[in-house]
Amino acid sequence: MIRIAAVGDVHVDKDVVGRYRPALEELPDQADALLIAGDLTRHGTVEEAECFATEFGGLAVPVVVVLGNHDHQSDQQEGLTKVLTDAGITVLEGDATVLELNGHRLGIAGTKGFGGGFNGACASNFGEREMKDFVGTSERYAAALRAALRSVEECDALVALTHYAPVPETLAGEPPEIFAFLGCYQLGQAIDEAPTTLALHGHAHHGSERGRTPGGVPVRNVAHPVIKQAYNVYQLLTDTVDTRDTALANA
Amino acid sequence: MTKQIDLEADIQRLLAEHDRIAEQGVTVHQRENVLILGGEVESAQRRDEICRQIAARYPDLEIACDIGITRTQAPAEVEEIS
Repeated sequence: MIRIAAVGDVHVDKDVVGRYRPALEELPDQADALLIAGDLTRHGTVEEAECFATEFGGLAVPVVVVLGNHDHQSDQQEGLTKVLTDAGITVLEGDATVLELNGHRLGIAGTKGFGGGFNGACASNFGEREMKDFVGTSERYAAALRAALRSVEECDALVALTHYAPVPETLAGEPPEIFAFLGCYQLGQAIDEAPTTLALHGHAHHGSERGRTPGGVPVRNVAHPVIKQAYNVYQLLTDTVDTRDTALANA
Repeated sequence: MTKQIDLEADIQRLLAEHDRIAEQGVTVHQRENVLILGGEVESAQRRDEICRQIAARYPDLEIACDIGITRTQAPAEVEEIS
């Protein structure tokens, strides 16, 4: 069994430092890892990243994150990523990591993702350069997620971590007119083309918690205003043997 | 002068683009001369700054602020994924 804690859209700045910490200190009793689905900061500054690292760093469980659109606002993604990495936080963008938890291998592939829309209401890579750039960006992030998911070998569970949504179901509650700015179907396709166990995203503050990809992969919107608590906890591999001894687990 | 029909759009852009706010998750609805704000933000300071900036830009509008502060308690339940 693996338990994953997850939240997104925490938008940390000086005024938030200390708010999450009491719940985060309980994490070792609640979950084996913490995944954060982007929008770690308000404006994507290095100073705000330091606040995030203060709040979410130094925990007793591994922390894996992707960036969100807010984290791009100041064009300081490299500096922001360095602050987080120096604090022991794993930042994914088009790549993956594998965590050894309770004798199991948890693969996590991540990207920010992008908008573009969904079946029946999506943008096309056609026409003005600006429109082709927009859809080209959607396609590039989806390709990065696809490659990251496929790069994980020999894991017991595989999680796709994005900021933008891979399905429209978890956007229900948002105005349908802005769905195309909240996610794109190409992310869902990438998730379905790999043996994905669970997809986590944020970004849609007024969206819904649960959905599935067309291929049947469970999707959870963990945006903080949606889950209304410090983090949700998801249990994977319920029926498996837990051990830190690989030989025993394989016996 | 901002046309009535554009008011909500103008305020949505103010909330996202103002350097002291940067919020995209606040709802804005106008009923007669009352502007109703909804959604949740991460701190009371952010909620108060939103109301302060809108009041400064639209001094003739009455603001009803229903913006909440998102709770940060630890969860009491686990969801099993299957």
